[in-house]
Amino acid sequence: MRALDLDFMLGLVPILLGYLPLTLFMAAAGMVCALILGCLLAMERVARIPVLDAVVVLFISFFRGTPLLVQLFLFYYGLPQVMPVLRGITGVEAAIIGLTLHFSAYMAESIRAAVLGVDRSQWEAAEAVGMTRIQMMGRIILPQAARVAAPTLVNYFIDMIKSTSLAFTLGVTEMMGATQKAAAGSFLYFEAFIVVAVIYWIVVEALSVVQRRIEFSLNKAFTR
Amino acid sequence: MLKALTLATALGALAAPAMADTLRVGMSGGYFPFTFTRDDTLQGFEVDFLNEVGARLGMDVSFVTMSFSGLIGALDAGRIDTVANQITITPEREAKFLFTQPYVYDGAQVVVRSGNEDEITGPESLKGRSVAVSLGSNFEQLLRALPYADEIDIRTYESNIEQDTALGRVDAFVMDRVSSAQVIAESPLPLALAGQPFSEIRNALPFRQDAEALRDRVDEAITAMKADGTLSAISEKWLDADVTQPLDD
Repeated sequence: MRALDLDFMLGLVPILLGYLPLTLFMAAAGMVCALILGCLLAMERVARIPVLDAVVVLFISFFRGTPLLVQLFLFYYGLPQVMPVLRGITGVEAAIIGLTLHFSAYMAESIRAAVLGVDRSQWEAAEAVGMTRIQMMGRIILPQAARVAAPTLVNYFIDMIKSTSLAFTLGVTEMMGATQKAAAGSFLYFEAFIVVAVIYWIVVEALSVVQRRIEFSLNKAFTR
Repeated sequence: MLKALTLATALGALAAPAMADTLRVGMSGGYFPFTFTRDDTLQGFEVDFLNEVGARLGMDVSFVTMSFSGLIGALDAGRIDTVANQITITPEREAKFLFTQPYVYDGAQVVVRSGNEDEITGPESLKGRSVAVSLGSNFEQLLRALPYADEIDIRTYESNIEQDTALGRVDAFVMDRVSSAQVIAESPLPLALAGQPFSEIRNALPFRQDAEALRDRVDEAITAMKADGTLSAISEKWLDADVTQPLDD
């Protein structure tokens, strides 16, 4: 076994860290959009509005049933052939849209399960004191559902950070794209991939700390 | 007067896409020594070549790097103007895209792990072997065109064919001769050339059908660069050989 090229590894760290903001930006933007869309989809799934429900079911089925890479290629290279307007979309925008659509489908199911998991008595009690449906959702049901859904949603966010590595196929040089180029230019595959793995790992570990804080604060109301 | 000005502005805006002053060039950034990254700097034969083309046309050149498999799709979708990644002219591609004249003439080369070059001596000894090629590259077609193609286990890769051959996961890879020789000379991987190059390939820049004017301008620049020796100099710089002239000259 040959010795590791430590100089190369140390030199690669600042280069890759330079791409970290872009990776985090795509994941964060995707997360915010997916969370909003996921909530809307979940609300619809709970309310079961006729016709719209069939569309939402089809949406969730498609975006859960096809790989993210296929969706990205379809959206970025395929659709512009039939809809030239879409040519103006940049790789970063396409990646965020792809992440949003893909992960909102998963999140919708988690949020729906969490909402339906809130005890029936809570719904009845809210109704008994004369709350409107929106008040009931906002004040009683969603805060309780959020507590249940939070760990799963953070997991999706972690998955999303790692999924941004697919954006290189859309011409966005993010952290993984920069790593692949560094590896191909130096032929030091092991060193390059170890460095990027450790960076992803540290980022996700840091996020786990945030996750524990969120869970703690969401649980506050339920612990005595 | 004002009317005339408005009209001129409107005409200018209409004409703008036709005289775009930026040439958007797609490349993988992972094809040593043509396009590769060291110290986070994109460099190589293709980078020098396209920068020189841009300088001669008075155009800015913007390089867009992406996975090789996305390049042709990006060209087709109008996201880039051309691909500088040693794209070989093939009948299928010519039906779809407009090519400039060839700027690199080369051959397909079989490369094996060091020590196996006595066993595998060229394309004819690939029967019953596994061979790596880049996904979407013409080397896959060259292999499939061999009379005994159904006896070859052809594996297409997104990247890193050199590494998998060095690791022994496949028996060989096929790439152009010039970059193969450079990879062997420059990389720490235990690789060796197996036999002689087996098929002449001509590499050029592809453009969309609706970009004939741009293609013609780039083609003129290439003619001039060939004539004054600039192209040969770029080749010597990166490949220690001049691969920019037809082999039968």
